[in-house]
Amino acid sequence: MQPVTVEMVGVRFGYGAVPILNGVDLTLQEGEFTVLAGANGTGKSTLLKVLVGLLRPDDGTVRVLQGSPSDPDVRRQVGYAPQGLRMAASLPVSVTEVVSAGLAPSKGLLHRLDRKDWTRVTQAIEAVGLGDLSAECLFELSGGQQQRAILARALVGRPKLLLLDEPTTGIDQRLRPTLVRELRRRADAGATVVAVSHDPDEFHEVCERILVIADGRLDLITHEEFHHQFHGHEARA
Amino acid sequence: MSRLFLNFAIQAYLAGAAVGIAAPVIGCFLVQRRLSLIGDATGHLAFAGVAIGVAVGIAPLWGALVTAILGAIALEWLRGKGRLAGDLSLALVFYVGLALGLVILSARGGLTASATGVLFGSIFTITWLDVVAIALLCLLVLVAVALFYKEFVAVSLDEETARASGLPVDGLNVLLVVLTALLVAAGMRVVGLLLVAALLVIPVAAGSRLAHSFRGALLWSVAAGLVSTLVGLVVSLAQGTIAPGGTIVLAAAAVFVAAAVAGRRAAKRHPRGAGA
Repeated sequence: MQPVTVEMVGVRFGYGAVPILNGVDLTLQEGEFTVLAGANGTGKSTLLKVLVGLLRPDDGTVRVLQGSPSDPDVRRQVGYAPQGLRMAASLPVSVTEVVSAGLAPSKGLLHRLDRKDWTRVTQAIEAVGLGDLSAECLFELSGGQQQRAILARALVGRPKLLLLDEPTTGIDQRLRPTLVRELRRRADAGATVVAVSHDPDEFHEVCERILVIADGRLDLITHEEFHHQFHGHEARA
Repeated sequence: MSRLFLNFAIQAYLAGAAVGIAAPVIGCFLVQRRLSLIGDATGHLAFAGVAIGVAVGIAPLWGALVTAILGAIALEWLRGKGRLAGDLSLALVFYVGLALGLVILSARGGLTASATGVLFGSIFTITWLDVVAIALLCLLVLVAVALFYKEFVAVSLDEETARASGLPVDGLNVLLVVLTALLVAAGMRVVGLLLVAALLVIPVAAGSRLAHSFRGALLWSVAAGLVSTLVGLVVSLAQGTIAPGGTIVLAAAAVFVAAAVAGRRAAKRHPRGAGA
């Protein structure tokens, strides 16, 4: 039995009077790769934000890496990639600068990045296939390339828990398998990976399980059940 | 001997250079976070601080410094609580700060003499002690940014992800606005409280047209700030009657136009289009 990385018990959360999470129970173990699926607005991103401590549950308990998700020491071991680019394009920012920003928390205040850190930055950029574009301005790249840079920022600190919101959205179909394999490699190395996705099919060869969120609760389903529920429904529509 | 090399001119070059270098360094982080108007708001609050300082008998610099720091922290607190969204709250701060300073100074009968120098700068009347104070304030700003550079960059790029990753975002935000307040106080004698925010923003706008990275934009911004300040001072000295605060900011605007043209030409010569 692998050590428990994430434990949610009876978690409820709502925006105002609108309940989003309605008694969520979830246990994730070290090295486990989980895909979180569900329709738009069902609370997938909200669940990740609760796990990373950006949102506080109205009720229930959340334990991440044996601590509170709002504990800075815990957060430094978590790699979080939000959905889409959340940066103002006021000033130019290179891909290398975006990815190296992912090392700032773990490096600690007043410590400069050393040669080893810059090697890790280079490796993370190459892992997402942006090696040739590392010096380019992020805002001059395509949406898929920007998404890969955001993914590299989450990966660069070699976190114990990876929380990725739609990590492959906008990325070229040809590159997706490479990125998915990289995430599997991280899980094999001991990281717990949670990827929110509208299309769990692309993860079916690498993930241990698919969780579907609906009506504020999580349900474990098989790949076949997912196909039947979502793609079958879409086909009929 | 030319006016350009007299003692008061040398003092002006040194003080102007210090502010011209330090202002864009802070400005880069403010502009990236779309907080450009914080510098303006802090400047207006500092005017009230100068007036309070005059009223209680302390040096204008200290009055401006204390009020700017407290005001900047209050503004950041309001922003963090989501109560400073939009420009209405900042506009309120502008007018209240300016009006408060106006009322206090005019009540003491010192409006014309005190206000003009504070609002529009008085760099040609500074002493060596002023030069040292301005240089030390700017040095403090530069050292703080050098120490916390990677954290400031991470927060400026994406505050939410920086918070989720364990960075002390609230503390870093307070530090940034305090450094802004120090810079505003330092720039008070150079370009005045009404124009000091221009040095936080215009050189950064110029630098951003010439670079493809944040560090590159920062270095170009510093160069633009330094050149603007020195050119503005030389023009004012050579002409003899034009206010240096105005020439410095107009020089910065000219540098911005030149940078925008150069940046556009470079982009046409070397297009850096996005791939698949």
